[in-house]
Amino acid sequence: MQRQSGPGSRGAKMKYLPYVLKHLKRNWIRTASTLAGLALCIFLICVLQTVLDAIRKTTEDADPSRLITRHAVSVNFRLPLSYKPRIQAIPGVRTVAISTWFGGVYRDIKDFFPNFAVESEDYFRMYPEIRIPPDQYQEYLHDMQGLLIGSDVAAKYGFKIGDQIQMASIQPLYRVRGPLKFNVRAIYNADPARASRVNLGLAFFHFKYLYETIKDSAGSYAGAGTYNIQIANPSQAAAVMRAIDANFENSDVQTKTETEGAFLAGFVNLMGNLTGLLNTVGVAVAFAILLVTANTMSMAVRERRTEIAVLKTLGFSGGLVMTLVIVEGLALGVIGGLVGIGLAQGTVGYMVQLPFMGFILGNFSGLSVSPLVVAMTFNIAVGLGIAAAFVPAFGAYRARITDMLRPA
Amino acid sequence: MASVDVQNLRKIYKRDSQDIVVLDGMNLQVPDGEFVALMGPSGSGKTTLLNCIAGIDRPTSGTVTVGGTDVTSLSEGALAKWRSRHVGFIFQFYNLIPVLTAVENVELPLLLTNVSKKQRRERALTALRVVGLADRAKHYPRQLSGGQEQRVAIARAIVTDPDVLVADEPTGDLDAKSAEDILNLMDTLNREFKKTIVMVTHDPRASARAHVERHLEKGVLTASLSRDAAAVGAR
Repeated sequence: MQRQSGPGSRGAKMKYLPYVLKHLKRNWIRTASTLAGLALCIFLICVLQTVLDAIRKTTEDADPSRLITRHAVSVNFRLPLSYKPRIQAIPGVRTVAISTWFGGVYRDIKDFFPNFAVESEDYFRMYPEIRIPPDQYQEYLHDMQGLLIGSDVAAKYGFKIGDQIQMASIQPLYRVRGPLKFNVRAIYNADPARASRVNLGLAFFHFKYLYETIKDSAGSYAGAGTYNIQIANPSQAAAVMRAIDANFENSDVQTKTETEGAFLAGFVNLMGNLTGLLNTVGVAVAFAILLVTANTMSMAVRERRTEIAVLKTLGFSGGLVMTLVIVEGLALGVIGGLVGIGLAQGTVGYMVQLPFMGFILGNFSGLSVSPLVVAMTFNIAVGLGIAAAFVPAFGAYRARITDMLRPA
Repeated sequence: MASVDVQNLRKIYKRDSQDIVVLDGMNLQVPDGEFVALMGPSGSGKTTLLNCIAGIDRPTSGTVTVGGTDVTSLSEGALAKWRSRHVGFIFQFYNLIPVLTAVENVELPLLLTNVSKKQRRERALTALRVVGLADRAKHYPRQLSGGQEQRVAIARAIVTDPDVLVADEPTGDLDAKSAEDILNLMDTLNREFKKTIVMVTHDPRASARAHVERHLEKGVLTASLSRDAAAVGAR
């Protein structure tokens, strides 16, 4: 007597696979469009999660000994320059340096790279992971119009030491005197041990140069964008942050001090609750694709009601028929997931080159789809495939042979 | 012992609040190796009786014993397993899977066994040889004529070497020549391979090939006609 091998046995799993795949090829346009939808959904979720992952990683990777003080309302407002000595005087503070986003555009907006006016000596003392050749650094420090650029900027635009460039800020108050002229004096790299913390796509120049240029016309906007602070003991960060903000609580301009990681994450959140927004978009896209795929699977199963009846007549149990339909959905999920993840892997690196998006993401070095995001999105794809197939599969499981053999 | 033994079979369908009696206390015995034709007007219960014998429908009451197994007492899972081993079903409209080739269609029932892939292919080809279609093994159903499709369906029905073949209007969708070929094939399966066959048909030429003709009307057997098996076989 022949022994029946159930759907759970190892050999059984494989011998039904060609049958399932042949059904997927049956209406290849429908299968391809469903796969394209699934792949696009997974691509989007993958990209969104990669951005969120980058934000998360930045927060985790940030140096706990560095704090950033900004205007309590928004980073778009400036802080009085008189705050620097008051912050410096707070116990636990080691170094304070002004950093102001200039928003200078080189040639055209599509050639934008983030650039900051900083109090160079204090600033770079607290960022030892930024490696600047000593001779170039001295040249930069001694040139009021000196420009320090990351090696990625140098490579992308072909800048060399000694080049002269102009940048006009996108902020009106910073361009009342026209574009600022700069001399490329130094090119920085990253300390290999801490490379993940360094963004090589930035440029820095002296805050004094900016201030002297605009002080007569910009009013309070000639102040500091942020005060970057290094503290002596990271374990006292919370106390120091509280002390700084308390110091200015009764001033006209209140401050908000946070850790470097929280500041960067918050900077991205300038566009709103980005994490919530991205997660909501991801869930909405996944739900829409779930409905589309479930509808497609239902149609595919409905068209095959006679075939399902035949399988059951031949002795396929309801459970086995249900499994075959679910495996069909699973196959769609696996293929769609792999295509979507592959697309995301191939394109996410280029996102930093997009205008504006690139500016935001440029703060997150080494943007790539992490194994965690790959695993998560692949599981979502598989889950979507199985969930989409479940209802039609259950219908096939329950259907009576005689009902399904009758013309619909 | 009878290969098929139907006792006091009743089948009642519910339509809204109305009970429709399809089979009303039916008794039928089909000995081993018999070729029985069930005839009768539409709605007389022929197909329902056939479905109950094949274990794809359950009676309201009564018993159906096939090859010594009371199929009415089996659970859904056990019934599916039983069907895969003991019954071959031949449909009026062949019902081949369009995305599978002829040989893959024939192999389908063997997927439920632990037969190796190579053996499955060999057995499927043997079944196709029996029905005279070994040369069309790689063809898809759309590349076959109606008669050829039905022969593939018969190969699928016999590939697991079942005890009983049940056929629901096997010639109902075929032209006269193809119908004749199919009937000859069923005749061969009955005589040479000793298969018990229960066939539902409207076609007098088909029923004439059976040893026994049973007529149904309104869910009860009304008349029976027996022929000499040897004489039928000699036609």
